[in-house]
Amino acid sequence: MSSTSVYPTPINAFKESKRSVLSVIVDNEPGILARIVGLFSGRGYNIEALNVTVVDVKKNLSRITIETLGEEKVISQIIAQLEKLVPVHSATNLANLSESYEAEICLVKIEFENQEQDQKILNYADIYRSRTVQKRQNIVVYEISGTSERINKFLDDLGTIGGIKVELVRSGPIGLGI
Amino acid sequence: MNNENEFTGADILLKALKDQEVDTIFGYPGGAVLPIYDAIFGQNFLKHVLVRQEAGAVHAAEGYARSSGKVGVLLVTSGPGVTNVVTGLTDALMDSIPIVCISGQVPSHLIGTDAFQECDTTGITRPCTKHNYLVKDVTKLSETIHEAFEIASSGRPGPVLIDIPKDVQFAKSKYISKKDIRFREHRIKAGSKSVDKNFVEKLISHIKKSERPIFYVGGGCLNSGHQASQELIKLVKKTNIPITTTLHGLGCFPGEDKSSLGMLGMHGNYEANLAMNKCDLMINVGARFDDRVTGRLDAFSPDSIKFHIDIDQSSINKNVKVDFHTNTDITLTLKEINSFIDSNNIDFGDKDYSNWWGQINEWRKKECLHYEQGDEVIKPQHAISRLYELTKQKDTFVTTEVGQHQMWAAQYYKFSKPNRWITSGGLGTMGFGMPAAVGAQMANPESLVIDIAGEASFLMNIQEIATAVQYKLPIKIFILNNEYMGMVRQWQELLHGSRYSESYVDALPDFKKLAESFNAVGVRAKNISELDDTINEMISIDRPVIADIWVDKKENCFPMIPSGAAHHEMLLSKYDKENPENQEKGKVLV
Repeated sequence: MSSTSVYPTPINAFKESKRSVLSVIVDNEPGILARIVGLFSGRGYNIEALNVTVVDVKKNLSRITIETLGEEKVISQIIAQLEKLVPVHSATNLANLSESYEAEICLVKIEFENQEQDQKILNYADIYRSRTVQKRQNIVVYEISGTSERINKFLDDLGTIGGIKVELVRSGPIGLGI
Repeated sequence: MNNENEFTGADILLKALKDQEVDTIFGYPGGAVLPIYDAIFGQNFLKHVLVRQEAGAVHAAEGYARSSGKVGVLLVTSGPGVTNVVTGLTDALMDSIPIVCISGQVPSHLIGTDAFQECDTTGITRPCTKHNYLVKDVTKLSETIHEAFEIASSGRPGPVLIDIPKDVQFAKSKYISKKDIRFREHRIKAGSKSVDKNFVEKLISHIKKSERPIFYVGGGCLNSGHQASQELIKLVKKTNIPITTTLHGLGCFPGEDKSSLGMLGMHGNYEANLAMNKCDLMINVGARFDDRVTGRLDAFSPDSIKFHIDIDQSSINKNVKVDFHTNTDITLTLKEINSFIDSNNIDFGDKDYSNWWGQINEWRKKECLHYEQGDEVIKPQHAISRLYELTKQKDTFVTTEVGQHQMWAAQYYKFSKPNRWITSGGLGTMGFGMPAAVGAQMANPESLVIDIAGEASFLMNIQEIATAVQYKLPIKIFILNNEYMGMVRQWQELLHGSRYSESYVDALPDFKKLAESFNAVGVRAKNISELDDTINEMISIDRPVIADIWVDKKENCFPMIPSGAAHHEMLLSKYDKENPENQEKGKVLV
C-alpha cells in the first residue's frame, strides 16, 4: 500500500505492510457488501481477496472474509472502522487469535498437448493431493484446497511445465478462529 | 377491506415522528413525497418549515440539533431533492450531529429503470451517513424509523437517512410504537456502558506526577450533554489544570475563565498551542486529533503522556498514538474521575502547577489576539469583539459560515455554555450558517440567533432568508464584508505570491436593498463610528436582519500555524516569516 497521507508521519506507516485475514460477521441485509467495499476504497485500504456467504440462515448472518495488506496500525483502524458499521456484529483479525485455521479452494483447468505433459501434471496433482473434477482427452480440471500458500506452490509447479494452458478460479482465503 | 389498526406508510411515518417527540421538520415537497405531505396537511403536532432549497433543510436540521441537543429531522423528495442534501449529510457526519433525513423514492416497481427523479439514494448517501435504509416493505417501516433515531443519537451521533418509495407510503400496515421495539444491541454502537476504573486510577496517578498537564477538549464533550460540561468544570477547578478546546469544544468550558487557554490549532491561541507542544500530560476529552489541531504530526506534543476519552473506538490511535484510552461516555467517565477524587480525598491543593502557569502566562504576554483598530476602517476582529460585548448579556446562539470570519468569531466571541456555538468544522461548508441559524431559531424562539458570515459564504444559501421571513424568525446575519473569499485570499497571499486568482467577489449585491426585497431589514456600518449603533439597531429589530459590516479588505487571520508546520512554529502576524522549507511542504497540504 502506498502512503496516502500527505502529512509526514512519525512512524513508518505502511512500510511494514503485512498480509492479514479479517473475519467479519454481519447481518445479511441489502447493501452490507457495498458498505464494506466502500469503506475500504473510501479510506484507501486494499482488498486482496474477498469472500461472502450466509452462514446462519435462521439468524440471517453472513461471514465476510477479507484479505488485506497493511501495517498493524492500519489494520487496527480498519477493524475499528468495520465495527462502526451498523450491520457488523464483529470484526476479527485472525492473526490476533491464539489459534486459527485458513483454507482456500481453487479450480484449475489445464489444457495439454502430449503424454509427457499429462504425466507431469498428474504427478503434481498427486503430490498436492488435488481432486480430479473432470478429465477429457486433453483437458483436466482439478480441485485443490488448503492454505493460499499451498495453492500458490501448486500453481508455481504447474507453471514449470511448458506448453500447457491453465485457467483457474480461487475462492480467496476463508478462516476460522478457535 | 379496511382495518382500523392499519395505517398508510405516510401515516406510520407521522406516528413514529410523534412517538419520537419530533415537533419540527424542515423540508421541501416533490412528487415522491406527496403522500407524506398529504399526511402532514392533516395533523397539528408537527411544524413543517418550508425551506427554499434542500441544502437549507439539512443545515437547518443541523442547527436545530446542535442548539437543542435533540435529533434534527428533514424531509426531501427523490432525485435532486436528495442529491442536494449530500453536502449537509457529510457535514453532519464529520461533525457528529444527530439528524434523520426522510427521502421519497420512486415507486418500487420503477426502481432501476431510470425513472423521472430517480437516483440511487442509498448508494449515493452510503459514505456520507452513519447508516441508511431503503424501506421496501411497509411492515418494516415503524421499526426502521425508530432504529434510525436510536442510531442517529447514540454513541457518536451522526446522520441517518431513510429512503421510502412512493408505493410504500401508500401501502398499509400496523404501527409499532417505540416502546414495543427491542433494538439489537450490536446495531446501536452506544459505546461501553461501564467506566474503566483502571483508566481513571491511571489518570489520577499521572495527574499527581505531572508537572505540565493540559486538558484538550473537543466536540465529543458537547455531544455527551450538558452534564459533561458541568463535570469538566468541576474537574478543572479541582485540579487547576489549564484547558484548551477545539473549534467544536468552544463553550464546553467558559471561555472567559482564567483556566481557559482558548482554542488551539491552526488559528488557535499562541499559549494554547505552545502549552500543547510543551505539556507532559495531555488529557483528550472527546477530540479527534484533527489535522487542523495537530499541525505537523512528527512535532505534535512530543513529550507528553496521552490519555484519550472518546466513545468512538476508531478515533483512538487514528492520527496520534495515545498511551491510555477509554471508549466510555464522557459524562460517565468524568463523573467517575470526580467522585474518585472526592472519595479518596485526593487534594491537588499543593500541586498548583505554578511553574507551568508561570510559563503559560509568559506566553499569554505575547497577546496573540492583539490587533490595531484605527479610527476609520473597521477591523473584522473589532467587529466581532464589539458584537460579543453588546450581546453577551443576552441569551445568544451564534452560527457561522466558513472562512476568516469563522475563525475570528471563534477567537473573539467567548462562549460560556455548550450548544451556543454552531459551526461547520470538519467539512468546512460555506453556506452552512444562515440555514443553521434558521434551525437554531426554530429550536430557541425566544433567543437571539446570530449568523456571523462572510459575504461569499452568505451568497451560497442566500435563498433561506425567505424561509426566515416566512416563519418570522428574527435571525441576524452579521456579514463581515471584505469583498473577498478572505481565507482563500489569505492563503494565496502566504503561499502563492499574492496572486489573487478568482478570490475577489465581484458584482456583489447591495445587501441592504437585498434584505428589503426579501421583506427583511438591512442595516450597514461603513466605518468605526457606525459600528456600535449598527449592532445595537440589528439586535433591537424583531425581524430577520442583514447587517452589512464593511471591514478591512486586506486583514489576515492570525495567529496561524501554516500547513506543514508544528505548534511551536506559529506565525503571530504578517511580519512573522515562515520557514521556507515548511512553506514548500505546506503548499501541497490543505
